[in-house]
Amino acid sequence: MKTKRILIAGLPALALGGCIQVKAPDKPIEINLNVKVQQEVVVKLQRDAQTLIQNNPELFPQ
Amino acid sequence: MTRKMMIAAGAAVALATGLFLVSPAGAQSAGVAAAIAAGQVGEQADGYLGIAGSVGADVRAEVEAINIKRRAAYTDMATKRGVTVQDAAAAIGCQTLGNRVKPGQVYRIGAGAWQTKGAGPIALPSYCATAG
Repeated sequence: MKTKRILIAGLPALALGGCIQVKAPDKPIEINLNVKVQQEVVVKLQRDAQTLIQNNPELFPQ
Repeated sequence: MTRKMMIAAGAAVALATGLFLVSPAGAQSAGVAAAIAAGQVGEQADGYLGIAGSVGADVRAEVEAINIKRRAAYTDMATKRGVTVQDAAAAIGCQTLGNRVKPGQVYRIGAGAWQTKGAGPIALPSYCATAG
């Protein structure tokens, strides 16, 4: 009985003192996906470019 | 009519009308190929052929005819991918400069001077990062 009381009394202290406080940031979180999208476009274009050159050798004399 | 006269007549018509008559494919690329080998014509980072040295009117006309066809092909590619024709052309430029220009041949990046490719790879523009 005695130990139980101590535990109950200890809980608020734990809540106040031991918690990690999470605070919302002042500014909205921005995740920039433009870089990845841009990179994918470049990769696709490079593949298209390779194909175009292979399919039109007369346009790409060496 | 000799072959020379026909070519001359063709060139005259092309100049007069502003159109470039397409000569047989073999003959067309032979002149340009020789000019490329001689460092008078080269690939540009913008995806088109450029004239680096002094070339005859016939080679000049061939280069322009090739570039007109290239532009049409780039336009199709750009439409398919939803990008600008310039972006599509630049992707081609990454490929030609990265994979096709041979040592001793000339190339140009942007408005820079014509350069001759050495033994090593050409330093490509940063947007070519994934060209390979």
